Amino acid sequence: MSWLLRRNMLPLHSNSLARRPFASPLPLPPASLPSPRETHIWYVVPDELKDASLLYQYMELLSPCERQSVLRMNGERLQKGALLARALVRTTLARYTDGRLSPKSFKFQKNRFGKPEVEWDKYDLWAPPPLQFNISHTSTMIACGVTLDLPIGIDIEEKQRKTSNNILSLAHRYFSPVEVAYLKTLADPECRQSEFIRLWTLKEAYVKALGRGFSGTPFKDFTIRLEASNSKQVTGELKSDAPSIVVEAVDDPGILMNRWQFALFELNNSHYTAVCMERDVKNPDGENNSLKLEVWRTLPFVEDECVTETDAVKNIIR
Amino acid sequence: MRKRGTPPNRALRARRPPEISPPVRSLPLAFSLSSDRSMASISGTVTATSVRPRLTSRAPVVKGFSGLKSVSFSIQRNGFPSVRLQAAPRQRRFQVSCAQAKPETVQKVCEIVKKQLALSDDTPVSGESKFSTLGADSLDTVEIVMGLEEAFGISVEEESAQSITTVQDAADLIEKLVEAKSS
Repeated sequence: MSWLLRRNMLPLHSNSLARRPFASPLPLPPASLPSPRETHIWYVVPDELKDASLLYQYMELLSPCERQSVLRMNGERLQKGALLARALVRTTLARYTDGRLSPKSFKFQKNRFGKPEVEWDKYDLWAPPPLQFNISHTSTMIACGVTLDLPIGIDIEEKQRKTSNNILSLAHRYFSPVEVAYLKTLADPECRQSEFIRLWTLKEAYVKALGRGFSGTPFKDFTIRLEASNSKQVTGELKSDAPSIVVEAVDDPGILMNRWQFALFELNNSHYTAVCMERDVKNPDGENNSLKLEVWRTLPFVEDECVTETDAVKNIIR
Repeated sequence: MRKRGTPPNRALRARRPPEISPPVRSLPLAFSLSSDRSMASISGTVTATSVRPRLTSRAPVVKGFSGLKSVSFSIQRNGFPSVRLQAAPRQRRFQVSCAQAKPETVQKVCEIVKKQLALSDDTPVSGESKFSTLGADSLDTVEIVMGLEEAFGISVEEESAQSITTVQDAADLIEKLVEAKSS
């Protein structure tokens, strides 16, 4: 790893390298598999990483190809983010294999639309769990969502994110007419800004769950909204007949695509987070149950904290 | 011995295009080595200069970086045949690819991209830079496209926008659209 030092690509203090030998990573605590209704979310806050030797440990987990991709990123900050993202995916998936697979051993492939997925090896005496995952990152957080055998998409955006272009210009260009109309009803510019970002994360999560990404599923072709049609605003309050987030095709309004369920919430007080998961139709209760979330804050090999019932996960709308 | 009419290296540095700083060892933004690596050209708004760099053994060319910050070269005085000032049309094209966009267009795209992604001024962004490696997500990309439309007075269709992965792609598309618009 010393070549990384020569190229000055990692922020290093000389004493951290001199005193700490290159320790093998601590084993990851195993995690129980997600149930059919659940999405598990593991997130990393890059700024919490103070120990540079951890970056070496993470780099060791990556395939040569992934390392190349990390190093192609423009600048130290983006390289660190890319490295953490790959380390997060690998360590997260490894947790669900009961110690049988190490983070390093995972292989990945892309589906025909370019969505990354796990390429599972065949084992004689053990069937690996059919995990599906998706990641999203901003400069201040990386999140990985995992399900058991159900397509999933996740998207996070900083709450404070500002757009360079006018919100309505962006919406007219990229959103469906129903969504534009909704944004127009919001008089307060800050409210409009935050609703735009939240809607963006929902739409991103949906296209990522579909597996076709932004280019494969034009945003204009579908509407995401609350089911209660006279609800003016997506609020955090749970009502007794709480509206739910639904998606419909612009060409086929009123036919809700029930196959997909959503959750929208705030993570770590800093990010709007949207999750889209395919409904488990094999389960007879699947139709009626909303998406269940379990969330952990992690710094792989250092610390894991379950934050599901805490303030780190709030204002959940499903 | 210097030939008559060729300026000394000192004067050459003084006549260097303004955007190249610090001196010779670092490269301006829109620069790429030609395929045989023995000849490179620097173009700028003031003069067009053709020099023969010699790559030193201490400065390996690093592949895979979208910016070229890590490449350095020095102009050796020993055995250095001559330094000639050449007018722009006669110089070898400094872009290896078949791209035809003008340097000014590429430069303008770089500016818009840097602004959208809030990159510092000294972040190297060139035609070869990929939006993804610069840290652009899908919202950034659509904002960049809208910024380019406004700056160049064009309209980009979604299908074309999806095929843009580098700054060069954007510049080429812009010029195609501008040309189509004016014809």
